[in-house]
Amino acid sequence: MLNQDQKEALQEIANIGMGQAGESIARVLDHFVHLSIPRILVLPPEDMAAAMTRTVGAGTVSAVRQAFHSLMRGEAIVIFGEQRCDDLADLMGYEGGLDHVGELELLLDVSNILVGACLGGIAEQLKTDIGFSAPSLMADRVPVEAMLRAEDVSWRNALLVEVNFRLEGRSFACHLVILMPEEEIRLMAGALDRFLAAY
Amino acid sequence: MPVSVLVVDDSPMARKMLIKALPPGWDIAISQASSGVEALAAYRAGKVDVMFLDLTMPEMDGYEVLETLRREDLNCLVIVVSADVQPKAQERVLGLGAIAFIKKPVDAQKVETVLREYGLTV
Repeated sequence: MLNQDQKEALQEIANIGMGQAGESIARVLDHFVHLSIPRILVLPPEDMAAAMTRTVGAGTVSAVRQAFHSLMRGEAIVIFGEQRCDDLADLMGYEGGLDHVGELELLLDVSNILVGACLGGIAEQLKTDIGFSAPSLMADRVPVEAMLRAEDVSWRNALLVEVNFRLEGRSFACHLVILMPEEEIRLMAGALDRFLAAY
Repeated sequence: MPVSVLVVDDSPMARKMLIKALPPGWDIAISQASSGVEALAAYRAGKVDVMFLDLTMPEMDGYEVLETLRREDLNCLVIVVSADVQPKAQERVLGLGAIAFIKKPVDAQKVETVLREYGLTV
């Protein structure tokens, strides 16, 4: 679906997007963010749950999804681990914690910042515009393996681009996953070829 | 005598992008490494005048490379090239002895400016 050159280009482009997202969230939370090397995988839906578990670890997660439309379309999902909001609320200066609705609003806000910066950075590299739908809650404290079930995904293969953010000295960490269906991967491959032609 | 340049990045694409951004006509001998471990091995195996160093890498990241160079008093001009554009990341690498921080995607003009500042190219 993607050749080696295209995968390497996408990994580097995702790396640049991740760096921009890391900087945005570091500014909001006033904490240094540790970044990891982005992972690029092409997977059938039945392997998606296992890939998510490898990324996030076992346990319950909450997740926010946001559709994007650009040269190609797909979905960005931000996954928050179990400890998610307590630490986040504290970081954002909410004394005494947040109620459930407040927590969810906070997750939506953080996701929106990460997705906008990361995918904005990717689109900029690929010299294309990008638009986003409003973020919506996809999972609220569910087991990680149940978050994205094969029967919920109608695609034969999906491109998974995964980046991780971990705050220094805090337990907060989250993961951004970009999912694109098969036909969109072909469009992505074309965009990557144009990018590669410059080098 | 050409300047010995080591380009360190786990991404072959990133290495290619950096090498393309180097000033044409700069008299250099380029070698490449895909991790911090490889970078230090290359440094110890021969002379490296200028190292272009990524931060986020497996098998020893860029911070560890800078710490090792400093601890062992190794003499090499390190220019960090990273997508991690947090001001704190830049402060840290400069504090660890890097001479400059260049953000990805690499701007050839910025590379040339840094090199000029250090008298490394005409």
